[in-house]
Amino acid sequence: MPVKWVLYWQPNQGSTVSTQILNEAAQCAESINGVKEGRWKATLNYYKPMLRDQSNHPDLPRDFLGISLADQPSKYYFIIRSQRIVVEADATIQLIMEKLQSYKSKVSLYFDGFQYQLGDFRLRVGRVVPVHSESIRGIVMEVEYLPISSMEKARKVMEEFVEIWHEALSKRSLSGKFVNSELNFGEFGLADTYTPQHTGVQYAIVMAHMIATVQPVVRG
Amino acid sequence: MQSLQQLQLLQNPTEAANSQSELEAPPKQVAQAMERLNQAARVIADIRLGADRVFEALFLTSHPRTSTTDTSLQLLLKEDASMRQHLHDLRSIGKKLEESGVLTESLRSRSNSWGLHMPLVCPDGAVVAYAWKRQLAGQAGASAVDRTRLALKAFTDQKRRFFPHIDDGVKMESRSKKHRASHSVLEHGGGEPFDCKTLPDIQSRLEKLVPNVKVSTYGRLSWLKRANSLPGSGSDDDPPEASKLVFQSSSKLRSGLEAEVADKVAVIELYVPSVFRAVVSLNPAGSVDPDSVAFFSPDEGGSYLHSRGFSAHHVYKHITEHASTVLQYFLGFGTGTALYSLLLWICSFESLFSKPCSKCGRLLAMDKKSALILPPLHRAYQELPLAANLDVCEAYHGGCSPDDS
Repeated sequence: MPVKWVLYWQPNQGSTVSTQILNEAAQCAESINGVKEGRWKATLNYYKPMLRDQSNHPDLPRDFLGISLADQPSKYYFIIRSQRIVVEADATIQLIMEKLQSYKSKVSLYFDGFQYQLGDFRLRVGRVVPVHSESIRGIVMEVEYLPISSMEKARKVMEEFVEIWHEALSKRSLSGKFVNSELNFGEFGLADTYTPQHTGVQYAIVMAHMIATVQPVVRG
Repeated sequence: MQSLQQLQLLQNPTEAANSQSELEAPPKQVAQAMERLNQAARVIADIRLGADRVFEALFLTSHPRTSTTDTSLQLLLKEDASMRQHLHDLRSIGKKLEESGVLTESLRSRSNSWGLHMPLVCPDGAVVAYAWKRQLAGQAGASAVDRTRLALKAFTDQKRRFFPHIDDGVKMESRSKKHRASHSVLEHGGGEPFDCKTLPDIQSRLEKLVPNVKVSTYGRLSWLKRANSLPGSGSDDDPPEASKLVFQSSSKLRSGLEAEVADKVAVIELYVPSVFRAVVSLNPAGSVDPDSVAFFSPDEGGSYLHSRGFSAHHVYKHITEHASTVLQYFLGFGTGTALYSLLLWICSFESLFSKPCSKCGRLLAMDKKSALILPPLHRAYQELPLAANLDVCEAYHGGCSPDDS
C-alpha cells in the first residue's frame, strides 16, 4: 500500500479554521498541476464505556476510537492511543457494537473533501465536521506517494513534497500551516511497510492534536 | 517541352545541315536524344513481350496435351529470332545515345550554349531532364539514405529477434574506434581486467559491487509465471492459481519449443527491495545481448511486467524511457559489454529516492515537460563501465541534466 502522511491544519494564535482555507488549499493543489479526481469521505467515532459506576473502573481507556477509511470501505479500525493499540476489523463489527452497547459512540465526526492527483502523488484535503452539524472543527490533508510502500524509503520524498506544498501555500498568505505529526509507528507494533493501520494511527494522533489546539467555531 | 517548340522554330534552318555530327544545334540534339530514348523504350517493351511469349512457349512444352511439340518448337524459334532483332536494335540505339552524351555527361558543358540540356539516363535507370538536376535530387536522396539506413537497422534488429536461426552476416556500425577500445577491456579498482562476456561472471561481479541489488535470471516462461505471481498483480486471493493457469495455457502453445528454450536465460531481474524492480530481456536467449529494459515499482505485479512493458507509475515510466536511450548508447559500441554496463547503470538507481540532483541539490523537482513532480530520473552513464563504484554516478532531474535528452 502506498505511503501516506496525514497532516492537519494548525491555525495561528488567535485565528480560526474556516472553509476558506479548504478552498485555498484546493486552488494550491491545482497550481502545482494537480488534477481533481473527486470527493472522499471518512468517519470517526469516539467511544465511551457504558457503565453505571465509572469510578470503579478508572483504568478503562478513555481514548478508544473507531475509524472507517475511504480506501478500505469494508474495514473498520480501532485505536486506543494511550495503550498503543491498533486493530483492523470487518466493517460489520459496528453492528455488534450497537447490539452490545458496552461502548457507545459519543462523538461522531465526518471527514470530507476533494482528492487530487499530482503525477505519482495523491492529495486529499478535507474538513472535519461533527455529524449533525455544519461547523468546521479542523482541516486534514492526506499526502500519498503511490510508487512505494516503505516508510523509510519514502521519507525524503514526502518531506520534500510537503516543502513544495508549503512553498506553494505560503503565496496565499493564510494564517496557519499544515503540520505533520511525527510519531513512532514501532510503538504501535507497526512495521516499515505501510498499511491502513498506519493511517488509522495517524488519524488518532491528528485528532488528539486538533482537539487540544482548535476551538470549535464558525458555521460553514 | 520548351525544347521541342524551339526545335520546330529552328527545324527549317538546321534541316539543311542534317547530319549526325556534333555540329548540330542543341535543340536538334535534344530532340534526337528524346526520340532515341522513346525508341529505346519501345524496343525494351517489345523485348518484355517477347520474353513473355518465350515463357508461354516453354509452358506449352511442359503441357503436351494442349499442343504438339512441333508448334511449341516453331513458337520458340520465332521468338528467338525476334528477340535477337530487338536486342540488336537496342544495342544500336544505345550506341547512338552514348555518342550523343545522353548516357554519360560528356556533353554537359556544351549544352549550355543555348541554355538547353541533354537528358541524362542515370545509372539506376532514371531519366532526368538535365544532369545537375540529379545533384539536387541527390541532396534529397541523402536524407533518404539516412532513412533507409535506419529502416535497415530496425529490420535487422527485428530479424535477429524473430529469426535468430538465420545467419546474420550484417555487422552493426560502431560509434568510434576510441570508445570501442576503452570498452573492450574493463578494469576495476585493482586494475585487473574483467571479462564480462558471460552471465555468471557478470552476476558475481554485480554481487560484489552492489550487494543490495538482487540479481536473478529466468527463462521466458518462468519469468511470466513469476510476474503473474508477484503481489500486486490483482489476483491477491490466489496467486499460485493464476500462475498455474498461465503456465498451462502457455505450455499448450509452446510444447514443441519449450524443451529447447526452457533452460536458456532470457530475462534478468534486478530487484532493490522497496525501491524498484528492473526487467532486462536478452535476445537471443542464452546470450549476453540485452534488447530491452523496463522499470517497475517493487509493489507491482502482473503479466505486463516485462522488458517492453510500462509501469503504472510516472517515475518508473520516465526512467524506462531514459533507459532505452542509454541501452542504445551501450549497444552502439559493439564490444559485447552492453549487458554489464546496462546492469551496472540500473543498479545506480538504488538511490532513486535518496540521492538529490547534482545540479539543483533537491530530490524533487517539477518536470517542465510532463508537469509532474519527480525525483532525479537521470543517471550519468557515459563514464560508467570504467567506474570503480557507483557513487560517481551523478543523478539529475530531466530538466537539470547536462545532456538534454
